[in-house]
Amino acid sequence: MEDKGNKNKYGARENRGTVFLKEFTKGLVISNPVFILALGLCPVLAVTSSIDNALGMGAGVIFVLLCSNIIISAIRRTIPSLVRIPVFIVIIATFVTILSLVFEAYIPLLHQSLGIYLALIVVNCIILGRAEVFASKNSVLYSVADALGIGFGFTLALVIISLFREILGTGGLTVFGFDLFSIPVLSEHPMNFFISPPGAFLVIGLLMALFKWIGVIKGE
Amino acid sequence: MLERLKSKRLYSMVFLTLVVLISASLLLWINSFTSVVVEANREAKIKSILESIFPDLTGYEESRDIIIVYEDDNIIGYTFIATGNGYSGKVSIFVGINPDYSIKDMEVLSHTETPGLGSKITEDAFTGQFEGLLIDDIALLRDGGKIDAITGATISSRAVTSAIQERMIEVIEILSNEG
Repeated sequence: MEDKGNKNKYGARENRGTVFLKEFTKGLVISNPVFILALGLCPVLAVTSSIDNALGMGAGVIFVLLCSNIIISAIRRTIPSLVRIPVFIVIIATFVTILSLVFEAYIPLLHQSLGIYLALIVVNCIILGRAEVFASKNSVLYSVADALGIGFGFTLALVIISLFREILGTGGLTVFGFDLFSIPVLSEHPMNFFISPPGAFLVIGLLMALFKWIGVIKGE
Repeated sequence: MLERLKSKRLYSMVFLTLVVLISASLLLWINSFTSVVVEANREAKIKSILESIFPDLTGYEESRDIIIVYEDDNIIGYTFIATGNGYSGKVSIFVGINPDYSIKDMEVLSHTETPGLGSKITEDAFTGQFEGLLIDDIALLRDGGKIDAITGATISSRAVTSAIQERMIEVIEILSNEG
């Protein structure tokens, strides 16, 4: 998908702004990394048991994806093909480590509850996948759009899943220490099933079906 | 020409080495100022926990991972950190004991237990049970002790009691040997 042409499949000219917007919105629904591409599901299962963790992880992935896409896209013409995967991984790992160091110093609570999943962002298929498939072959501008779209799509998925899991599994919603609400009967007898991994699988599976259905209706 | 250069092994080695060097330098630089903040956070946290467990303290000193707490010239207690394996990761607990080795209070420093279940080990309903207990009582009711486990989080609860009991045995031995 080289950016030179600026001609869409019908041969009409599209300006950079339109292409940017397209790349961005693609990551939100049509190519949602969790529900459509089914990438990086392991951390999704782990961090969606509470909305705080989901938001924290989402922000972290957006940061790493953005930074790594920008750097890899900027130096894409100089990367030797032989070592391109190790180079991508070193770059991604550097940004994840920066994220981890900063969280540890300035947001220790989040750093603690994300635990090992913060470090595991390095091997999140989404980030390595976008580097290989998109950033290494496209301009910095479009790589930014791709990173933001996929990153926000990932965060959107995390938030939706954690809303279901936290509300059904604990009977209420607590964001950064603020108790938003508590459902009367449900909070005394919450459906703990949804906090556990099998519950996560169920929620993700049903939402995947929903997203596929939306895609079918839109006639993609 | 760039294509030919890029396919050479030497170029690949140099390139990767350069990337790693730049990455390591960047991380060293960032770490130099975040580690200061992390250490300061840790000191402040220990100080505030000490003060909440022993409100009358005037000073403390640390020796061999045990903190001795003073009020003027009297020893009013000791504190130590107990660690153990919970349901999903390490659990770290700050324990304060009286001079007679009964528990004064305790606080969970860090854990990665399941939110809504094992995470309840930080709640007063669970931690409050430890007050006044002697070493033999620090176990779950079903294990012969006096602690009521959290419903649905037996493993997390047991991790806390065994971590405290094990470390406390060591601490008491060290303290009795020092006279």
